[in-house]
Amino acid sequence: MNIYLRLVYRNIRANLDRASLFFELIFPLFFIFVQGFGLNGIVPPFDVGNGRVISYSLFLAAGAVTLTVINGGTNAGTQLWFDRKNGMFEQLLMGPFTRAQYILSIIFATLIIGVAGSLLVFGFAFPVLGASFAPTWEGALLIAGALFLGTMFFGAFAIALSVVLKSSETFQIVSTFAFFIFLFTSSVFFPASSAPSAIQVASLANPLTYTTDIFRAGLFNAVTPTVSLELGILAIEAAVMFVIAVIAFRRIRV
Amino acid sequence: MARDQVVRVAELSRLFGDKIAVDRVSFDIARSEVFGFLGPNGAGKTTTIKMLTTLLPPSSGRATVLGYDLKTEGRKIRAQIGVVQQQDSFDQGLNVETSMDLYGLIWNVPKAERRRRIDELIGHFEMQEFRKMPTVDLSAGQRRRLQVAREFIHDMDLLFLDEPTVGLDPIVRRSVLDYLKERVQQGLTIFFTTHILEEAEYLCNRIAVINQGRIVQIDTPENLKRRFGSAKAVEFKLLQGTSSEMASALSSSASVSRFGRDEGSGAYRVTTTRPESVIPEIYRLADRLNLTVSSIYISETTLEDAFINLVTEDEKAVANGGRAS
Repeated sequence: MNIYLRLVYRNIRANLDRASLFFELIFPLFFIFVQGFGLNGIVPPFDVGNGRVISYSLFLAAGAVTLTVINGGTNAGTQLWFDRKNGMFEQLLMGPFTRAQYILSIIFATLIIGVAGSLLVFGFAFPVLGASFAPTWEGALLIAGALFLGTMFFGAFAIALSVVLKSSETFQIVSTFAFFIFLFTSSVFFPASSAPSAIQVASLANPLTYTTDIFRAGLFNAVTPTVSLELGILAIEAAVMFVIAVIAFRRIRV
Repeated sequence: MARDQVVRVAELSRLFGDKIAVDRVSFDIARSEVFGFLGPNGAGKTTTIKMLTTLLPPSSGRATVLGYDLKTEGRKIRAQIGVVQQQDSFDQGLNVETSMDLYGLIWNVPKAERRRRIDELIGHFEMQEFRKMPTVDLSAGQRRRLQVAREFIHDMDLLFLDEPTVGLDPIVRRSVLDYLKERVQQGLTIFFTTHILEEAEYLCNRIAVINQGRIVQIDTPENLKRRFGSAKAVEFKLLQGTSSEMASALSSSASVSRFGRDEGSGAYRVTTTRPESVIPEIYRLADRLNLTVSSIYISETTLEDAFINLVTEDEKAVANGGRAS
């Protein structure tokens, strides 16, 4: 079996915290089925681009699906933490693997967890989203690209955090707080353009904004000329964060 | 590579900032040899293992492991070695059996072979009663057993064992050591560190004593005892159990190089080069203090005596700036 397959399988099998994963999947569903429908009555439908007018519950449901990329990212940091805490990090590095193979296996496992989680939440949310789902090849590629790059960014971000922070407790607190900031300065809950100017500025640097916007554009066939620019920015942010994570990872003292 | 040299180390050093953790160590290890690496805490044992297993790059010096260059062929080395670290290492989300299976999988051991080896190792290491138990629920000793057993799931030519028997009870410890001996007879080479000198004596063909990063001596256990264990140990018991006056008087005696009491047996142990004058002194003190010596004998020099002498002499040499460079 290929070395990456073995390591990815091991990462998922050994380090996936099933209880946390359950709540990470349940969490977006509350937004979709509780908050979305709750606010639907007071928020009028609006244009998400390309003349596509959708209800707030649809808008939020699409945003909630992209929320799972953050959860995938947290898992990447947790995998590394578990391995460091339990001595498996050194054990694996004294095995027939390189550091690069090890970190890539965490990223691959994170991508699988993030994308699979998104698809699962999407499946649960289909009764809400299904009616307005306008599948096209272009849309499918945008959705795949958004989920891939979003998970890549947040996975790399969590790995970098878990290297820098000295205890697993601090990692949990800081990553939760950081992801909270990412969440509320993005377009998951509301269009960034309608937010106060400070949040609008912050949202322009926020990869979750681009992940969510691209995902919605692909899902609702609401592709505007800015989507390719957003995709480019997200790809650059993901690549930069990946490089930062690799540099941080190489500095882990054993 | 010389035909039977599995490890060749020349002037290997490792610095952490200004601190020298390992200082120009040199040694060879032959195939099917158990090479003991003994030293006090912080002597440089684990750092040496980390360098030889390619986890840490050396600051200077050269080494080959299994014929491969340490600096340029790390991956080839890692493919043929096994390592049991001093610290715990386990997958927390799995039970014992699954943990071993997954470890075999990442080493690319075929499934049928993994099954066979797991059953065999669980038997050898007496893990039947907790084979289905989650690794997080194991006691320290059980987890240690798993860690050692797990390493034998894959093939290897050289095994690094960094204090592998910590936390094991004497019976399990002996069965682990016997299993290691069996594997050595089949061709395995072992690099072994421990603080339990009896097991080093039981297992090792040769022993290197390391102190403050430098190798002080390398020899067989017998030669180390003969050459450096010149002091004898006089052990005695008092009918009254303990006596602080006796302890105080013997501790300050010029003939006594070390004095202590074994809490388990209750016996006092006096290390001396002159047992012929220490024994009468013990009886004189007992008379004066109205104590009765219930038993007294001179014991053979142990590896521990030799080890302590070596390290103590080296410490003195370092303190006096007289250590050979």
